[in-house]
Amino acid sequence: MKQGLLVVLSLIALTSLCDTINQLLLKSTIDSLNFTPTLNIIKIFKFIFQLISQPRLWVGLVFSLISLCVWLVVLSKADLNFAFSADSMHYIFIALASRFVLKEKMGTRRWLGTGLIVVGIIFVSLS
Amino acid sequence: MFKKKVTLKILLLLIASDILETAIHFLFKKSTLVFNQGQVTDLATMLVFLKVVFSSGFLWVGLLTVAAVFIIWSMVLSRIDLSVAVPIASFSYILVPVVSIIFLHERITALRWLGVFFVLAGVVFVSLSSKERTELAK
Repeated sequence: MKQGLLVVLSLIALTSLCDTINQLLLKSTIDSLNFTPTLNIIKIFKFIFQLISQPRLWVGLVFSLISLCVWLVVLSKADLNFAFSADSMHYIFIALASRFVLKEKMGTRRWLGTGLIVVGIIFVSLS
Repeated sequence: MFKKKVTLKILLLLIASDILETAIHFLFKKSTLVFNQGQVTDLATMLVFLKVVFSSGFLWVGLLTVAAVFIIWSMVLSRIDLSVAVPIASFSYILVPVVSIIFLHERITALRWLGVFFVLAGVVFVSLSSKERTELAK
């Protein structure tokens, strides 16, 4: 485990990156559809149909498939509790992507939170 | 354009996704335990590994759960921003280690729990910043 830590962390970074790309594509697809949450089954199905006809969604799904395959390799090499906590590095990628790609505004609290996550991942990796 | 705040309905959807999310990771871990031909070191062994894992029932039940979470997330993300929605789905940070200890017999050191709580604190801070975002909008 110790020797392979760097390999496992790199693989987790790779899945996190693929996940972030997928989330960005999903977010931009959904934003373009202007859907409002509802419990109406027909409306939900209509929404799902609209969703699956968007090419961006499918590109996102390819990324999530890659992410899944790499994630399974990670799980075969590491404990679940370690892998899961370390996988929170996707918060860092998502924060950066939200700020610089989606141009969402980021306040100090959000940056501070992202910093705490970084510290947490370091502690989890050290143990 | 600024989206609505987190409502009770969205919060309940997120809690449901937390529980399902934990189930997904447990099922995926179980599916990788089916493979007992050593470590994945290169692309060739990775393909053999994936073939074994993808024929495991655990993986497919896990993937069905992913589909359920995907639908829930689609509903949530259409209402609130990505950088707010993702962090609230944080309860699984406690659930996953607990499930790991009980069902997978993994050991968690004090330092690792500390790390988990730092991550969780970070996630809570990021969630709180949804208020900050409204202030920034003014």
